[in-house]
Amino acid sequence: MMVKISRYILVIIGILAASVALPELYWTIFEQVPRTPNVYYSCTLNDFIMLRSGDNGIIRHDTKGNTYTLDEFEQHLPMMFFRQLMTDGTMPDSIHGVEMDPTAINKARSYFRYTTKDMLSPRPRLWPMFESESGRVNLAMPDDYFRITTKIEFIDAATNKVNQEKSAKFTRALEEHDFAFPARLIAGIPTTRKSCDEGYFVKDSRGDLFHVKMIKGEPYVARIDIPDPMDILHIECVDLRSKEFYCYLFTRHSGVFVVMEGVYHLQRLPVEGFDPFQHEMKINCDMFNKTFAMEGEDFLKVVAVDDMYEVVDTYEETWDGIFERPDGKMFASIFPFELELRTARTGFVNFYFTRSPGFTWLLVNLVFVGLAVWLILRRKGNLLKNIPDLLIVLVTGVFGFIGTQVFPNKFYD
Amino acid sequence: MWKAIIYKEWIKIRWTAAIFLALGILVLVNILLRIRHDILFVDAINYWYNILFRGYNYASMLKFIPFLAGLGIAVAQYFPETVNRRIKLTFHLPVKENRVLMGMHLFGTGSLLLIYAIWLILFVIISTVFFPPEIMHSTLITLIPWFMGGLATYFMAALILLEPVWLFRVLYALVAYGFIAMFYQRAGLTAYLPALPELAVLTVLSSIVVLFSGYRFRKGEM
Repeated sequence: MMVKISRYILVIIGILAASVALPELYWTIFEQVPRTPNVYYSCTLNDFIMLRSGDNGIIRHDTKGNTYTLDEFEQHLPMMFFRQLMTDGTMPDSIHGVEMDPTAINKARSYFRYTTKDMLSPRPRLWPMFESESGRVNLAMPDDYFRITTKIEFIDAATNKVNQEKSAKFTRALEEHDFAFPARLIAGIPTTRKSCDEGYFVKDSRGDLFHVKMIKGEPYVARIDIPDPMDILHIECVDLRSKEFYCYLFTRHSGVFVVMEGVYHLQRLPVEGFDPFQHEMKINCDMFNKTFAMEGEDFLKVVAVDDMYEVVDTYEETWDGIFERPDGKMFASIFPFELELRTARTGFVNFYFTRSPGFTWLLVNLVFVGLAVWLILRRKGNLLKNIPDLLIVLVTGVFGFIGTQVFPNKFYD
Repeated sequence: MWKAIIYKEWIKIRWTAAIFLALGILVLVNILLRIRHDILFVDAINYWYNILFRGYNYASMLKFIPFLAGLGIAVAQYFPETVNRRIKLTFHLPVKENRVLMGMHLFGTGSLLLIYAIWLILFVIISTVFFPPEIMHSTLITLIPWFMGGLATYFMAALILLEPVWLFRVLYALVAYGFIAMFYQRAGLTAYLPALPELAVLTVLSSIVVLFSGYRFRKGEM
């Protein structure tokens, strides 16, 4: 009995190993990645320009079908290529009545990219609290790191001991603002290589949002009014030259927001349908426009807004999802499922199980059942005693076939 | 008689176990010295920074040590049994064959667990001297799959060594490779956290797979 159990354990292990290894091998050989364009919004054309790499090299075109050379492309994106245009002497003096000043252009420009991995990855639980108004030009690394559990505690790295006095001072400051310990989320820019320090954005255990920083050794705490219930999932702080906003808030129920600097006003971004668990987002900002490019497994949607966050244009493109493409269709007819330990979507190792859509794989499974029956009969085995094995092959296909054949069902009465 | 069996197992693995125990301790001492050295050079604040924000694993040297220990002890314990099919003698003892094999296996597993426990305790002591619990936890979570992988290696290696047919040994080894690789994925600190329960279940399940090739061995599968 125990021996039979041990065999089934081995069959399971065999199936797991095969369902990781074979699909991986399959994708390495057959996977075709769809070529998605880079989409920009031209402030001179008031239209999107796509940069697309195809079999005939790079194509640049707008939504009306006009194609552009590299020079034309750059001229229609003056905010992006102003340095090149100034060198060429083709930079306009003004656009939309605004004088073109390199400093101002540069200040307004920013780029940000969100991937699901940013949120779905292990997060540090200790952070450095910088002195944000030291009076010095350069930021300095503090001597301690803080954690926010039942209180906020600063741990001195050199001694590995809690600095009680500083911890008590900051805990009091948080309590005065009705902070509900412990912190659920802490986000900041934990590096000295930034233009200035804005401390941390902290979500407490009730889901409320706080801004915490240190000014001249003293705690600074501000509670940020958020429309509830938004359930903040992820915060990504940015260091913008324009100082327009502190951070992006990705929420479960209400979409994506930015928190405006100084006033803590929450500005909602017009990115309907964006799912932070599934989609990627690229954000391009310049003097006139911001573009939010959301990309999923089978679509791209770009929203362009003006400087008041009013939508000026949208562009959408879809393509076949993985299981609608030839490589994915073939996969789904060979393998009933796939097991992955790591995926591009997250930074965590886990058993990620993907069932193949449809039932065409059942045919292949039946072929393997037939093969197993043939092998059993050839060995003059008893089919009745192999029914569990055959069922395993029926459900798990090639994986089960490998599992049951590598660990042969051969027992003596 | 059990005393005699345990004594026999002890004689087989004692040197291997001692060598791997010492090797692991040497690696841990090396880790300790390197932490101390690096902290002197770059200051604790920056050393912590590398762990917290750059994913530096100060115990990465330990990665394949549990794997090697599992493999080494399995070889020391089961390889001599396959020479001239010596394990047949054990199976002729007046004890149920499965029970005697599980007894041997339990002894090997126990020895391996003891070695791992000593290493992990040393690791925790070293970590608590230099680091706060957060850093120790995240590194420990990263180490645990390596140790479970070491146990799984021991179990799978025993299965392969006792298998009497060469072709199947090779096939088992392929499966074992795929299985053991699950414990040694390249991943950041703490990344293994969600997979730990599943991996633990698989490790426990794999502890009895040696019975399968033991059975084939004593039935004289050729």
